[in-house]
Amino acid sequence: MSQFAQQVVLGLLLGGIYVAVALGFSLVWGILNIVNLAHGALVIVGAYITWDLFTRLHVDPFLSLPVDALTLFVIGYALQRGVINRVIRAPLFFTFLLTFGINLVIVSLLLLIFTADFRSVTPSYSGTGLHLGSVIIPYIRLGGLAVALAMAGVLWAILNRTRIGAAILAVGADRDAAQLVGVDLRHIYALTFAIGAAFAGVAGGIISTFQSITPTAGDPYTLQAFAVVILGGLGRVSATIAGGLAFGLIEVLGQSAPGLGSGFANAIAFVVLVLVLVIRPRGLLGRLA
Amino acid sequence: MSAPGRRQPNWRRRITVSVVALALAFVVLAPLTSLDAAQQAGLPLLTDKLWFRLATTVAMFVVLASGWNIIGGLTGYASFGNVAFFGLGAYTVGVLVANRGWPFPLALLAAPLVAAVFALIVGLPLLRLRGHYFAVATLGVGVAVGEVVNNIGPLGASTGLFLPIVRSDIAFFYLMLGAAVLAVVTTWIILRTRFGYGLLAIRENEEAAAVIGVNTTFYKVAAFCVAAALTGLAGGIFAQWNSFINQENVFAISDNVQMILMAVVGGAGTVLGPVAGAIALELIIQTLAGGGSGAVYSQIGLGVLLAACVIFIPRGVIDFFGGRSRLSLRYFRQTLRETSV
Repeated sequence: MSQFAQQVVLGLLLGGIYVAVALGFSLVWGILNIVNLAHGALVIVGAYITWDLFTRLHVDPFLSLPVDALTLFVIGYALQRGVINRVIRAPLFFTFLLTFGINLVIVSLLLLIFTADFRSVTPSYSGTGLHLGSVIIPYIRLGGLAVALAMAGVLWAILNRTRIGAAILAVGADRDAAQLVGVDLRHIYALTFAIGAAFAGVAGGIISTFQSITPTAGDPYTLQAFAVVILGGLGRVSATIAGGLAFGLIEVLGQSAPGLGSGFANAIAFVVLVLVLVIRPRGLLGRLA
Repeated sequence: MSAPGRRQPNWRRRITVSVVALALAFVVLAPLTSLDAAQQAGLPLLTDKLWFRLATTVAMFVVLASGWNIIGGLTGYASFGNVAFFGLGAYTVGVLVANRGWPFPLALLAAPLVAAVFALIVGLPLLRLRGHYFAVATLGVGVAVGEVVNNIGPLGASTGLFLPIVRSDIAFFYLMLGAAVLAVVTTWIILRTRFGYGLLAIRENEEAAAVIGVNTTFYKVAAFCVAAALTGLAGGIFAQWNSFINQENVFAISDNVQMILMAVVGGAGTVLGPVAGAIALELIIQTLAGGGSGAVYSQIGLGVLLAACVIFIPRGVIDFFGGRSRLSLRYFRQTLRETSV
């Protein structure tokens, strides 16, 4: 029983990571109608920034998160304004291919700069945790979940309490109508992608604290972010939270099922993905398309 | 992406004739590479064993790009999971030859069958999805099937499978070439039948196609199965040719992207576009790859090329043949204007 409780706790903590990764992905998909295959690569860029600051300047990984956010914001803005805006009116398939190309370039550049060696961030408190009876809650994972929920709050506030958020939602609802009332499409597109990238960077910073990172470590996160958005539903911050936590639970409990192991993480993600797509296409909390 | 019917017949014949002539030259000249006499005579380029391997690889990608074209180009369903069919074909041959002791030709017949049956099973639920949903769900198929295979003991798990080595470059070259011809001819035939027109109708407007009486589910699944069979066949040949298969070399998502890139760069939805794309791109990739550290640069080059093609020539290079468009700055400016915000 206590082992089951431990699994549930670990599942929810892992789910927190998925919430963090999927927030930016969901925003970009919902507003720009782009499935950003470079999302995982942007996550790993954030992870490398945290690692670099930690090994060189001994900055605590949680303190480096704002740096991740700012750097990725700039990269994201430039990417959307300079490149992706050029194909935004093309069929979906083309933006899909384009982001795959961007993914390839980012991963290769990371490979050139940081090599393929495994890197890890190990602050003094990694490995310690909170003991609640027989259940152990690692501090690092708990911190990750807290940051993820805070990110969700920030995103909700940006979208619902600011003028820029209103412009972003307007562009998502009707591009041409938004332009008619004076929204600068190029800027809002770039800004939306930049916010998505900044969130990816923060997620990467968290990820570097509990997992060793390589240039290709981000690829699974793209697929998982997609599964989370499908599971929760598109177009709501709360849906991403529900999807992320549920997905974390499914993954941890699924891997502890008899006959399955940690080698099946992606296969479980995929089966969940297809089941939800076929049975309930709008996800747990999604709006009707 | 344009229907082939709109191309001027004169041009089409000229392209067809030149491609066929090139292919014939290829077929006649390639065997020279395996002859010691030719090697000693110092024939340029052809004498290199590496070149032979390259020629077989090019033929393989012609099959893969043409196979993808049938589901992605003709039907409009961008599959990122075709590599699963390649891997399944390879593992079918691998298991039957290495574990069961079947002769290779018999095992090779099973490869496209297994791939097509798998396509039927996953195609029924997945082809109900559209756009991004289909693309990423099939991406999941590719990743998941590879992962499952990687975890099954009798399939060699993460070590992979070793097949008895067959040393005959020339046999594998002709086998792969035969598969390539089969793929091209299949596409050509499909485009001239009711089936092909049904697929094009689905690509242009699925609801309208259904209204005029196209059985869309049957057509889509059939196209998926044909694509899978061709891809599985190439995988089966690859397994015996390479004599070693594992998750990394037959379930590589990057191979899936390469086949899409080849079809799109060459011209998706046409018969010869994927062929042109496969030949041109594979040669470029192999040239860029060069030495050891060159692999990273070739990846960067591939990524930039992909981005540039999507932005500037979304209809593929085949668009420049046939007199409808000319390669010029104005063409680039126009495609940019059509798609940018």
